[in-house]
Amino acid sequence: MITLLPSTKTLICIGSGGVGKTTMAASIGVGQASSGKKVLVLTIDPSLRLAQALGIKTDGELHQVNLASDSKGELWSCIINHKKTFEWFIRSAADKDSDDTSGRANIEALLQNKLYQQLSGRLSGSQEFTSLISLYRFVSSNKFDLVILDTPPSQHTWNFLRAPEKISALFNEGVASWFRQNNDQPHTKKSVLKKMFNLKILSYGTTQVLKALEVLTGSYFMKELSAFFEAVQKWQGPLENYVMSCHRLLISAETEFVLVTALDSSRITEAQKLSREIQKQGYRLSSVIINRIPSWTHAQKNAASNIRSPRVNELIKYYLSLENDLQSRLKQLRSSLKVYKCFELRQNSENVKDLQKTYNNISSAD
Amino acid sequence: MVKKAHLITGKGGTGKSLFSVVLAHYFSSETQSVLLCELSEHSFYKDYLNLPEISYKPLALKPHLDISQWSPEDCLKEYSLHLLKIESLYRLFFENAISKSLIQVAPGLHELALLGKMTSSPRKQGPPMPYDQIVIDSYSTGHFLSLIRAPAAMSEAIPFGPMGEQSKSIDAWLRNPDFTQVHILTLPEELPISESIELFQQLKKEFNIKAKVYLNKISGLTSDDLTELTQEAQDSLQNILASEAKSRLQLKKAGIDFIELPLVASLQSETLINVLTEHLKVSL
Repeated sequence: MITLLPSTKTLICIGSGGVGKTTMAASIGVGQASSGKKVLVLTIDPSLRLAQALGIKTDGELHQVNLASDSKGELWSCIINHKKTFEWFIRSAADKDSDDTSGRANIEALLQNKLYQQLSGRLSGSQEFTSLISLYRFVSSNKFDLVILDTPPSQHTWNFLRAPEKISALFNEGVASWFRQNNDQPHTKKSVLKKMFNLKILSYGTTQVLKALEVLTGSYFMKELSAFFEAVQKWQGPLENYVMSCHRLLISAETEFVLVTALDSSRITEAQKLSREIQKQGYRLSSVIINRIPSWTHAQKNAASNIRSPRVNELIKYYLSLENDLQSRLKQLRSSLKVYKCFELRQNSENVKDLQKTYNNISSAD
Repeated sequence: MVKKAHLITGKGGTGKSLFSVVLAHYFSSETQSVLLCELSEHSFYKDYLNLPEISYKPLALKPHLDISQWSPEDCLKEYSLHLLKIESLYRLFFENAISKSLIQVAPGLHELALLGKMTSSPRKQGPPMPYDQIVIDSYSTGHFLSLIRAPAAMSEAIPFGPMGEQSKSIDAWLRNPDFTQVHILTLPEELPISESIELFQQLKKEFNIKAKVYLNKISGLTSDDLTELTQEAQDSLQNILASEAKSRLQLKKAGIDFIELPLVASLQSETLINVLTEHLKVSL
């Protein structure tokens, strides 16, 4: 079991890939719901098995999970659909701003823009952003006591934490203004550069920069890029506000971070660095869970038998030293950091009962 | 000139970074010089290999083996300077807060910059690279697919001009089996195995790439090792053995040849690298 601060309304599970973040997020969800809370677990790309266990579809909608009959609370789950979320974000930010038809046409222009389609669909990096806006959307709906987010499988969590900053840069006044065209002027075949230069929007220096960009990328790319910025520029204000709200949510006193790590010697330093960075940035990292500890090494250590197999002896020594090493390094970080251990279940089938078992299995390492 | 580029991928936690160093060690010899690159923003190798610092400029790790960290910004800068030729123009472009944020957010530019650098030697774009092989510790499955799909996606979106031409040529070298080799790391567990089989098949279908697959962290135990253990330990380890057997079978069924790598029971990176490099010399 894991103890959250009483004020916590948002829990963000972070850690590098393959440490069992998604299962841990789901387990904490089941555990917290069984004690009476109305919980939402937001996941990205869960294993088919886990999705089936929770009875959820990849449609980006909210689904209620069937819990044990003695459960006091409710568990809801949602698999983030990146394309849909991006579209929702663009539309909702634009809706506040404009009801007129030109505004709508503008939205459609953006949704049809080839670069936008790349950004929202096939290219990397946008997952972090859609996770964040989904989180904000559900937390601010006030429909849940606790929202748990399983962060994207990015190599690090840095990208996720920097998502607001990066997306702000996208809608940055400076960049957008480069490409801004006079809305009263119809599109002409004149090069974007020339037009901007004629309108005296650009200084000579900036023109040189854009020229360099055109040499590097070509006029076709420039045309798409300028159409992209022209389309987003219209509701730059609401978008910036939204991004700010997302950032405020991350540093809010009601948001807690939990770091999930595996018993992996090569990632010890990385986990250490990540938690240090997170604290430095003002995020509330309260707990670390060392996941998937093989429990047999402990059972075997206590049973005083002479084992002849050199490989078994070697493995026991290895796992125990890994665990000690990881634990002591995590404790060095900050004494107030709660360190938990979670032993690996012998049968790792995933259903609500097993998720509850995993949750019960989380024990304090202090 | 670079003859071959190796991209290492796999599910998170399967051991990509360690394997990349091992592969780089394995390739480097009197006659073969190797460059090992990492793509992550926050260096993994700096701490892991205890290096004073790591940057875009290659650092000698040992004779015939250099290491560097590629950021999209550095790759783009190098390429632009090569193309624009005028230092002042390039300064104007890159030392400008606005273009910095533009580069950061322009869709697809990052991926193109990295893969552009990887294929720069055979495409004869950019400064020469004095290496025979480059080994790239790349992203995990999902991000990796986004990375290698970017050139085709970009050339589809931007069919004309230098951007389109470059994208097309990067894509072609990426699909050339004589130049690009993808290595997939996996573990003898259900999720990594199904993910790596899917990735293998996807690469074959979409890019006609035949990836090399490595089944990592094999316990090296047999049933005989378990007889003296407590019941709990026996059960757990039997589970591991069963999972290993099942994984081998699944890979075979999917028609995938694979190389097994042992779990090396050490916390010392030097020991891990040496043991595994010796292992590769026997099994590759």
